[in-house]
Amino acid sequence: MAKSDDGVHILQGLLVFGNVIIGMCGIALTAECIFFVSDPHGLYPLLEATENDDIYAAAWIGIFVGFALFALSILGIIGVIKSSRTLLLVYIILMLITYAFEMASCITAATHRDFLTPNLFLKQMLERYQKSETDNNNDKWMSEGVTKTWDKLMLQNQCCGVQGPSDWQEYTSAFRVTHNDADFPWPRNCCVLDARGSPVNLDGCKLGVPGYYNSNGCYDAISGPLNTHAWGVAWFGFAILCWTFCVLLGTMFYWSRIGY
Amino acid sequence: LVLLPAAVPTFNNSLGPGTPERSFQGFPDTAPAYLTLNTTLLNYPCPKPPGDITVLRVGSETSCATDDTRPTCNGPLRAPGPYRVKFLALQGSVPVAETAWSKPIDLRTAQSPSSIGAAGSQHGAGMIALTTILAILFAILLAAAVAMLLLEGDACGGGSSAFSKPEAVTVQRYNTHHVYDQPAARL
Repeated sequence: MAKSDDGVHILQGLLVFGNVIIGMCGIALTAECIFFVSDPHGLYPLLEATENDDIYAAAWIGIFVGFALFALSILGIIGVIKSSRTLLLVYIILMLITYAFEMASCITAATHRDFLTPNLFLKQMLERYQKSETDNNNDKWMSEGVTKTWDKLMLQNQCCGVQGPSDWQEYTSAFRVTHNDADFPWPRNCCVLDARGSPVNLDGCKLGVPGYYNSNGCYDAISGPLNTHAWGVAWFGFAILCWTFCVLLGTMFYWSRIGY
Repeated sequence: LVLLPAAVPTFNNSLGPGTPERSFQGFPDTAPAYLTLNTTLLNYPCPKPPGDITVLRVGSETSCATDDTRPTCNGPLRAPGPYRVKFLALQGSVPVAETAWSKPIDLRTAQSPSSIGAAGSQHGAGMIALTTILAILFAILLAAAVAMLLLEGDACGGGSSAFSKPEAVTVQRYNTHHVYDQPAARL
């Protein structure tokens, strides 16, 4: 019958279109997650030191899921065009597994983003920046990572502390143990530095005279990239999964209606 | 001139800078007050030269804090205070001008970082919505997959496929597309 013929073709067309979109989104997901894993802002040592770097794990899963989605979408297109029950069954089963993994990645990224509060970074900065007496190798390595990252952050973003230089004054810290308050109210990198890396006016910086020290906090420079990372993985993955849900339901319907 | 507030009533202006009763190193144990940042009139020109910061910092010099040969050392204060300060202008050792005593100044006391509550992990609404919706979608998919596999047993025998030809008689065209029922096509 012409009508059911059309019906078949429409459904096939829709499924092929759906799979093409899944394939392209898979590639995009892989590219996005590779970008995040490469850590262009150099914030990974801070997360490592919190021992809570699961948003990176989520990005790693995203890389493999993206690639799997691309491969499976090709399988799906072939299966729909050939109307092969076995191919489509394999496609459905593998897609469900990939779906589960992507779900895990999205939920992990969204959940662990909520742990990254200003207080977490403040505590870590005070306890680890320029820490001189480290307990073991692991501690030493984490502290060095934190120190290097903060030095770079303060230099590049012209900022100081998490919420401001007063963080160094309100709390004692590992930094304060080795650097007394009179000479170093805050680390040297909080001062406005000239081209050679020495403070423009050291006394002005120590006094806190506006213009000679960085008075804004670094939290925005930290949370901005981390938010983009976590939300990028979580919500893009969510969008892909919603679309995949529809395509999978359509494929299951199609599969149940074709004969051998 | 820096001193503890308790010494204000008994204070004597005429003791000059550099004497043991006014040395930084003796403050606050043996000297109730100390004089520091002593300089000549030349260092305070009027009008102020551009680029100069008109602030004096008490406690800048850390190198001479224990050096008894420098009694006017501008060393860091050890206790949190409170302290009171004033400016004193001397001609020789005779005070010629002075400001009033400042209000008591308390130095900051720092807290330990372990007092920071880092466990502020409130789960945002976005994360809860995402988890719920994904879980529901996945459950629907699994249910549909199970239904699809279970009903597959019936479809071959009883149920009529939407895309199958109902009668064996009418063969519009010889269609090798195996979506249609095989018996119909073989006619």
